[in-house]
Amino acid sequence: MFDILDMGASGLTAQRVRLDTIAGNIANINTERDADGKPNPYRRRFVVLAPGEAGNPKLPGVHVQSVQKDMSPLPKRFDPGNPDADKNGYVSYPNVDLAVEFVNALEASRAYEANVTMMDTAKSMFNSSLRLLA
Amino acid sequence: MYLDRLLNQGSEPVLEKWLDFTDARERVLGEDIVNASTPNYVQKDLSLPQFQSMLLRKVQQQQTAAPGSVDFGDISMDIQDPRRNILFHDGNNRSMEQLMSDQAKNALQHSLAVELLRDQYSIMETALQEGQK
Amino acid sequence: MIQGPANNLGNVTGITQSPGQSSSTGATGGSSFADMLKKSVDEVSKLQQDATQAVNDVATGQSENVTGVMNAVEKSDLAFKTLLAIRTKLMDAYEEIKQISL
Repeated sequence: MFDILDMGASGLTAQRVRLDTIAGNIANINTERDADGKPNPYRRRFVVLAPGEAGNPKLPGVHVQSVQKDMSPLPKRFDPGNPDADKNGYVSYPNVDLAVEFVNALEASRAYEANVTMMDTAKSMFNSSLRLLA
Repeated sequence: MYLDRLLNQGSEPVLEKWLDFTDARERVLGEDIVNASTPNYVQKDLSLPQFQSMLLRKVQQQQTAAPGSVDFGDISMDIQDPRRNILFHDGNNRSMEQLMSDQAKNALQHSLAVELLRDQYSIMETALQEGQK
Repeated sequence: MIQGPANNLGNVTGITQSPGQSSSTGATGGSSFADMLKKSVDEVSKLQQDATQAVNDVATGQSENVTGVMNAVEKSDLAFKTLLAIRTKLMDAYEEIKQISL
């Protein structure tokens, strides 16, 4: 009963995971080394959303299918003095663009609000139909 | 002794049990929400499909038994762990969105059950008063 | 074809008697009213059973049609109250007739 609220909740969860990913990208915007300390710049992550639930795409709602790395080329800067420079003197940096991440974060938060509004509308529609019996 | 059979007919016992269920679930979900930040807290829930299948069995008994004779009192409501496949660093497996959505659904079901039950009782009262105010 | 005034008179009385709801004239008139009353009671009973079934279906999760339940319950309530009002009017009419002194 009231599947629409379950659908709204799945949308909220998906948008929140998206926002978490974006926050991770922004936090790691200057990370040149990986967890082991080797020069391995952070690659931007993005979420792949798919309809339905994890095992059953026909159900209503949305879910996060996977979180993938963006394999576009890393920007390089000429900095021969940097200990992480390669043999040509270039240092690779994460391929995170702040403008792109901010716009995506804005979109995710608006989508979150839209889901909440939809659930509110569904609840008030139901409450008004209860007045049929009053 | 026969008066309570009179009041145990039709959809009244079903609606009363449903109200009991939504009340109990409201308390369990409220506890979950209050403990949203508690480390190592295991979220609890009452399973709606399980309750509905027990209710269905009682309703099917009611169709073949004498009116008012089926006792709905022994439907048990067990606390379960909703497996949400989420685990936070503090050992808690909450999902705020799912919790709020479950609470909203539970409140709507409660309102529906209350309205339907109130309607049943008012029709009986109208019948008893024989249409006079 | 040519019809005389007697045929027209027959047509007029046919119109007043054909709905089958006359409550006064003779034995055939009386039984049709009783039938109508019985049919009304049966209809109200069926509407109430439909409403109970709809409520049980939604409560046990068999059906998701919440507005359908509210419609069914409201219809059965109105039908029941209508029947009750008809019965009250009949009782009042009977009391009045009893008081006609002959």
